[in-house]
Amino acid sequence: MAENEEILRQLSQEYSEGFTTDIEQEFFPKGLNEDIVRAISLRKGEPAWLLEFRLDALRKWQGMKMPSWGHLDIPEIDFQDIIYFAAPKKPVRKEDVDPELIKTFDKLGIPLHERDALTGVAVDAVFDSVSVKTTFQKTLAEKGIIFCSFSEAVQNYPELVRKYLAKVVPPGDNFFAALNSAVFSDGSFCYIPKGVRCPMELSSYFRINALGIGQFERTLIVADEGSYVSYLEGCTAPMRDTNQLHAAIVEIIVEKDAEVKYSTVQNWYPGDKDGRGGIFNFVTKRGLCRGERSRLFWTQVETGSAITWKYPSTILRGDGSHSEFYSVALTNNFQQADTGTKMIHIGKDTTSRIVSKGISAGRSQNSYRGLVQVAPGASGVRNHSQCDSLLIGDGCGAHTFPVIKCANAGAILEHEATTSKISEDQLFYLEQRGISAEDAVSLIVGGYASDVLKRLPMEFAIEARRLLSVNLEGSVG
Amino acid sequence: MNRLRVDKGLAYSDVILLREGADAVWDISVAAGASLQLTFIALASGAETLSCEISVAFEGEGGQCLLRGLYITRDSADVSFRVNMVHNLPRCTSRQLFKGILAGSSHTLFDGLIKVPAHCIGTEAYQENHNLLLTDDCRAQSLPQLEIYADDVRCSHGATFGRLDADELFYMRSRGIPEPEARRLQMVAFASEVLEGVPEGIVTQTLGVLEKLL
Repeated sequence: MAENEEILRQLSQEYSEGFTTDIEQEFFPKGLNEDIVRAISLRKGEPAWLLEFRLDALRKWQGMKMPSWGHLDIPEIDFQDIIYFAAPKKPVRKEDVDPELIKTFDKLGIPLHERDALTGVAVDAVFDSVSVKTTFQKTLAEKGIIFCSFSEAVQNYPELVRKYLAKVVPPGDNFFAALNSAVFSDGSFCYIPKGVRCPMELSSYFRINALGIGQFERTLIVADEGSYVSYLEGCTAPMRDTNQLHAAIVEIIVEKDAEVKYSTVQNWYPGDKDGRGGIFNFVTKRGLCRGERSRLFWTQVETGSAITWKYPSTILRGDGSHSEFYSVALTNNFQQADTGTKMIHIGKDTTSRIVSKGISAGRSQNSYRGLVQVAPGASGVRNHSQCDSLLIGDGCGAHTFPVIKCANAGAILEHEATTSKISEDQLFYLEQRGISAEDAVSLIVGGYASDVLKRLPMEFAIEARRLLSVNLEGSVG
Repeated sequence: MNRLRVDKGLAYSDVILLREGADAVWDISVAAGASLQLTFIALASGAETLSCEISVAFEGEGGQCLLRGLYITRDSADVSFRVNMVHNLPRCTSRQLFKGILAGSSHTLFDGLIKVPAHCIGTEAYQENHNLLLTDDCRAQSLPQLEIYADDVRCSHGATFGRLDADELFYMRSRGIPEPEARRLQMVAFASEVLEGVPEGIVTQTLGVLEKLL
């Protein structure tokens, strides 16, 4: 009996991260102009070159139009009706984080205290516009690893930041990259020195709390020669009837013989079952395999956001460099996702692999969009892409838009895609063994996505499986 | 524009050799239970530009459509194929098979779309594009696209880019087949899937062009 109640309770919870934290916050006035950009920069005590960088990006943004090529129906966004900076008032020093905030992150399962070393994950927690806490900094510093909030990096390691900032995603790259470059408020910075293998998983956790704000954070990861790091990113937001904007930039630079794994579990509030509210997730993520034999692995599980517009890409410049992209994108109700990757092969003997699994249910639209490009001088390139779509119900859409450009006779490129639905036979088989239709669907989807899920670090894989089944609720029958 | 309509229950097949300057826009409709097989062959050299646009729609359930294409390009030729396959009715079947052999500094584009609107269940649609690149100066581009709004469908596409297989070449040479002949055989094998059932005159002409690529 009690068990049944537990199941019912589990089923009725739509989005368990949808609470808000009541905390005193400071807001900048709505709108975007030079004054706001100057105010953000001043507030962060930034050097002049960074302010100039922001203003330059703002000017570029003002001359740009919102991209409309995605297979997305984006309502008009009033960029002057957004708050570009919001920060909790209380904490002055990082050491004493507001207990309310600790509670919030505890509720989300993100430990801000270091006593629980078992989790083996160092976290940089970003709350609205600021980083509130970075854990295990000391332990990491012993190895020479720099892991801190972006603002701290600007203060403490300005030369490093200046050397690498916007080298992969220039400010004028696209509309949202320009917007982010102008108003980015915080984010994470990570530098792994030569030959160091990072002993723990590094992680950024992004939380939107305040109403009417946009979150614009920047992550910059630099893996120097022969180093290794595994990086995780997670995100959630409260349930609201209005849409909120999240436009982030992630830049990764991988030097000779280094390896970076970047995993994302994206669980922004997806809106309710009638398509009201939810986060607009317009993100630019790009890595540069700069050195020879460098390796970059993207793994993403996208279950949240009302609209996702995201293409984690790799520029394979170093000879013999390698990149992989594994993605599961699940859309339900009225969610829309246009996501995929770009693999740009410039170096010789570069290889890449793309595995994308799309799942659409309800009345959602899910698109894979990708580019595989081989430059004229890039001989010996090898790529394999596989993009599968799974449709659940007849009200949704699944689309595949790959572009393959080859300018070298030495390249071998393969692309394949299939579209299918959950077969009656599979469902029948599981149901006649006493498994409910809903559980059967999440079991089948879990199996379908397992190629990608098994690439995730364990804690993330469990979380991802849970998200997949929660987000599929109500999609059968 | 070339309009082509295959009436109910009929089967029609044709081979079209594309020529520069000739109309290459095709508007095709396939009636209930009808079946259509069209093969397009583009042999381009010099500065020739050939571009072919094919739109297919169905007028009744159970229609079948097979589109095949072979493009062999050299010098600075430019060949493009655009296919718009709309499965606007349930239970229709389509297949697209386009193959290209590129030499010189030629450019090619295959831009194909399979669209399945809502409720067009029982659709089977397949699309393939394979490219063989012989020189470093040629450029091939492929955009195989699926836009699907119905769940009970079977759709897939595939695209590949590659060169003549070195192992195959070695195998034949080790058995006394001279290299040019071995390369020719590889190209003929690659093209044969499209050339099957094509009138002898056009096959001879196509094989003659392959000779020139050696």
